[in-house]
Amino acid sequence: MNAPRNDADIQQSLFEKRQKIYPREVHGRFARLRVISIITLLGLFYALPWIDWDGRQSVLFDLPARKFHVFGLTFWPQDFLLLAFLLMLAALSLFFFTAIAGRLWCGYACPQTVWTEVFLWMERMIEGDRIAQMRLDNKPMSWKKFRIKATKHAVWIIFSLHTGATFIGYFVPIRELTSQIMTLELGAWATFWMLFYGFATYGNAGWMREQVCIYMCPYARFQSAMFDDDTMVVSYDAKRGEPRGRRRFDDEEKRAQLGDCINCTLCVQVCPTGIDIRDGLQYECIGCSACIDACNDVMDKVGYEPGLIRYTTQNLIEGKPSRIIRPRIVIYGTILLSLTGLFIYIAGTRTPLALDVIRDRNQLYRESRGMIENVYKLKIINMDEQPHTYSLSVSGIDDIRLELEQAKIRVDSGKVMALPVRLLVREDTLTSRSSDIEFTLTATADPELSVSEHARFIGPMP
Amino acid sequence: MKKLISDISAIPEPYQFISILWLSFLMAGVATGIFFSVIDPMQLEACVDFPEMGRIGAYTTGFFLFWILTAASSLLSCYFILPRKGSGAGDQSKADQA
Ligand code: SF4
Ligand code: SF4
Repeated sequence: MNAPRNDADIQQSLFEKRQKIYPREVHGRFARLRVISIITLLGLFYALPWIDWDGRQSVLFDLPARKFHVFGLTFWPQDFLLLAFLLMLAALSLFFFTAIAGRLWCGYACPQTVWTEVFLWMERMIEGDRIAQMRLDNKPMSWKKFRIKATKHAVWIIFSLHTGATFIGYFVPIRELTSQIMTLELGAWATFWMLFYGFATYGNAGWMREQVCIYMCPYARFQSAMFDDDTMVVSYDAKRGEPRGRRRFDDEEKRAQLGDCINCTLCVQVCPTGIDIRDGLQYECIGCSACIDACNDVMDKVGYEPGLIRYTTQNLIEGKPSRIIRPRIVIYGTILLSLTGLFIYIAGTRTPLALDVIRDRNQLYRESRGMIENVYKLKIINMDEQPHTYSLSVSGIDDIRLELEQAKIRVDSGKVMALPVRLLVREDTLTSRSSDIEFTLTATADPELSVSEHARFIGPMP
Repeated sequence: MKKLISDISAIPEPYQFISILWLSFLMAGVATGIFFSVIDPMQLEACVDFPEMGRIGAYTTGFFLFWILTAASSLLSCYFILPRKGSGAGDQSKADQA
């Protein structure tokens, strides 16, 4: 077992204060990509609930009404499996892309990264660049410092509250929500969740930042299992860079002795998780490629080839051949493709009507006046937007007779109906103990809307 | 086992608790999703004597109940994984080695 931690260690970890990381601003190819990705994702997040589709909010997971609207499609709790399927697909594509290109998700799309970048940007606007921020934090509290800090937090909090409100707007109609907020009539529960999400945004993007990735993210823990030596990762070419060292431009002799890394530490300064990529691939690296941009800039200035830090694979760095197509990719890819196909098929052929047939368990059959009777319970689920009246028919045995307790089968939108049904058959038409029958339920207004379900009819031995 | 425990001590103490809360938060979310997609709180309200709180209220309460459960379970697991203090177990193997 492990050596027990002594009290001093525990004390230390308790009081160890996190060193604040001040990531330096970067410009470059990947920084631009990141900005584009952030603007697109946040733009979608803030705008989508305001966009209407078919006269209704385009994306609305209407929890109070128990139905999900996604661009003209409506999903009911009965569609839960479809949703679970979708989540599985999402997880699987994450595996797939991680195996190919490492932590793409972390660097460009994760909400934690995206909101942190926005908060960093606001911080930079208010407090100034990296150096100015560090200087400000080292100064004793003064009226000016207080003003700057207060402004920053006020801006952060307003932005977080707006984020929280938008988030709630995905679950209750956003226009109603907004007018309720304006008139201070928002319900207690919705207010609670709005503050909850707002506070989470403020805390995670303003304060915790890289700590979330390092200590709290489950994906960060799992991702290394999807890596192999052919995965694209951000890495430093130690062969080319070492021995590192500062040098003067005109000092030819020194230039010849040293590797290409001029030890300017810019790659460390831009890193949002505060690591030194030159120490090798680390768990903390979120693959944001800020260090690539920073280093390429430096290489350009000192007249060396770019790419001392670059996207590459472990095998390539070691001079071995590297391949994209490999068993892991093929397996993930095949599973992903077939599941996607299946999902599209299921979602595409999904009829907003479901029928379940349950045989009465108490009695196999009953005989009366030369007739055999079987009892069933039908479960009808109307997943359409409107109420429907349905007609029920049954086939499989000659002259089979259907008896219902009610004249009309009418089910409201989104409702489930349990319908007891009796089937009567003349004994002489039965050819075996158990015969196959089929129930067909069709909407009277729309013959296309129809489902069939198999069942068994049990009788005595003929 | 060794690795698991040394990993735990590598995490700053406050984050150990945050990890417990956060991961159980995720699991509680999953549980709430499954539970309430099968059961409509309005139907539940009809047969159980609960104070009336509407659907969102019921979802929220359900979520927090799940969260308390999942967090308690994680917390207990973490607690039982830690080495026992003042335990005599293992003394015998030490004696065998000597
Ligand atoms: S090491 Fe580079 S890619 Fe990794 S997190 Fe730091 S800056 Fe981003
Ligand atoms: S930015 Fe490039 S040159 Fe500067 S220290 Fe990092 S690896 Fe070396």
